[in-house]
Amino acid sequence: MQVRVRAFARLREAIGGDLTLEVPEGATMSRLLAAVGETSDQAGEALFEESGELRGYVILMHNGRRVRRAATGTLALADGDEVALFPPVAGG
Amino acid sequence: MLTDREPGRYLRQVALFGEEAQERLASARVVIVGAGGLGCPVALYLAAAGIGEVRLVDGDVVDKTNLNRQVLHGDRDIGRPKVESAAEKLRAQNPEITVIATYAAVDDGNAATLVGGADLIVDATDNYRVRYTLNRVALDAHVPLIHGAVRGFDGQATTIIPGRTACLECIIPIAPPEEGATPVVGTTPGIIGLIQANEAIKYITGTGDLLTNRLLIWDGRAATMTTLPVERQEECSACGSGRCSRR
Ligand SMILES: [Zn+2]
Repeated sequence: MQVRVRAFARLREAIGGDLTLEVPEGATMSRLLAAVGETSDQAGEALFEESGELRGYVILMHNGRRVRRAATGTLALADGDEVALFPPVAGG
Repeated sequence: MLTDREPGRYLRQVALFGEEAQERLASARVVIVGAGGLGCPVALYLAAAGIGEVRLVDGDVVDKTNLNRQVLHGDRDIGRPKVESAAEKLRAQNPEITVIATYAAVDDGNAATLVGGADLIVDATDNYRVRYTLNRVALDAHVPLIHGAVRGFDGQATTIIPGRTACLECIIPIAPPEEGATPVVGTTPGIIGLIQANEAIKYITGTGDLLTNRLLIWDGRAATMTTLPVERQEECSACGSGRCSRR
């Protein structure tokens, strides 16, 4: 199935734009995030800590709704879903 | 009262939202925390719009590396406190308003005093430690907080109405890591700062729809703006039922 990924800020720079990813039927949000991280070294770095844990400050949205970190392992995606990923910026 | 002062200055915006709205701007007190990339455009446009009292708080002095984006400061201001440099330009822009410059770095201990009495707080800071402090002070005092942040060509903004909307910690519960010298092009804080100033004018005059429960994201490379819906989090440590006892 296909899931559309909208990336913002540094993650967008790392990925180069929006993505449509092919993931297995019923894939979870975690599975999708791993797939996004695998698209490039910079994408992996933008999303994950060195330990492999998802960077806690990245805002995750699924079909326009916020996804809590704790739910990423169980949230099953469907064909045509849209995921948005935004690492907040800090400067002023 | 307006006509006693300066009939022409606000003519074009009074034509837009009326005399009463202009009176509200004239009696409003806005605290802008940070007189840097975001604070400069916020302060300049709020001064020009006739905000009665613009209070600037910042503990830094002007450095040459600030000048690509901190547009109220010029070459001759290098070494001066940013709030003094900025206040001078604001007073020249609009002598009809009161500009208060406070040369101090905001921290947990002084934040409530520094923003005391304000109708609105603008977060024009450059780090989440102070942002979270302002968020909690805003919640405690029930004063709206207008958040903005930038990096590179990217920016974000949201408006927080305590008790009614998602607060900063609902939206960003974990701060992104600090960078030494954040790369940034001056237009990014210019754009985000003006969105913050626009929110302030809308809030005070009661015009339009605020950026509440929405996080605006500006992508300057693509020249697109998006808003992500955000909501109050029940377990938010700043405004939710899980809020920790503080101070
Ligand atoms: Zn909150």
